[in-house]
Amino acid sequence: MHEIGVRETVQFAGLTFNWETLVMTWISMAIVLFIAILATRNLKMVPTGAQNIVEGLIVWLREQTLTSLGPKGEFLCPLIVTLFLFLIVANWLGLVPTMASPTNDLNTTLGLALFIIVMVHTLGVYMKGMHYIKHFFQPFPIFVIINVIEEIAKPITLAFRLFGNILAGEILIIILLMLAKWAILPSVAWLAFSLFIGGVQAFIFTSLSLAYLANAVKDSEE
Amino acid sequence: MEHSVMVAAAMIGVGIIMGLAAVGAALGDALVTSKFIEGLTRQPEAKNALFTNTLISVGLIEAMCIIATVIALIILYANPLIK
Repeated sequence: MHEIGVRETVQFAGLTFNWETLVMTWISMAIVLFIAILATRNLKMVPTGAQNIVEGLIVWLREQTLTSLGPKGEFLCPLIVTLFLFLIVANWLGLVPTMASPTNDLNTTLGLALFIIVMVHTLGVYMKGMHYIKHFFQPFPIFVIINVIEEIAKPITLAFRLFGNILAGEILIIILLMLAKWAILPSVAWLAFSLFIGGVQAFIFTSLSLAYLANAVKDSEE
Repeated sequence: MEHSVMVAAAMIGVGIIMGLAAVGAALGDALVTSKFIEGLTRQPEAKNALFTNTLISVGLIEAMCIIATVIALIILYANPLIK
């Protein structure tokens, strides 16, 4: 996004695609795969190096998943770890000089958010059956309006939070470079802050996905 | 004539949006952080759990302000009403 607000598009099979977002998504996918391959190359019992870092990440996220979803939620650990890794690589990719984040496009974030929400409802119906649909009508049947509005607001806020944070960060990088070419300190400070925000937003997306999934997967202690 | 009025109105609108968004974000984050520090003084061992929840809350609070910022940027740079 060299000019603010202008995206180069590509037509394929009658649909329009943002070319830069597509290429950056592929690059993020390649980096995540590379991290995974790097960590599992020579597996040792006592981990060192890259294997140690990735194992620490997996242990931490697995603990979060088991706390939120209960012991039945262990099958979702690979999804959560992949989601977190992809989001953190995608958010940080935009800070490299000539690259942009794939998450600065509403299409990417809305796609991820809708994927999580569809999974929540499908898993809810699959694992809890009629009880899941009944719980929308509790404690009074009139509450269904509020619950439906909440379910519609979930993917929208999830998508817009990530999109807004990353897009605003990137636009500010462009503006800072336009305004203060000779003074590097504001740009360096903003870069450090953007690293922090990228990590925090990836973690928040993952935590909120876990919280929404807990609705569908966790056995409620009556 | 009309074009410059629209541009001036867009500028004023953007200023008001960003000002209110900044005040909102600062107040919200200040409330959360003050409660975090208060909880930390009562029980210093709970630092990790409290800090995680603080970061999550800050992210959630800032979401509204970031959405306001994105709307301000759209009004400023990609305004559909200004040709």
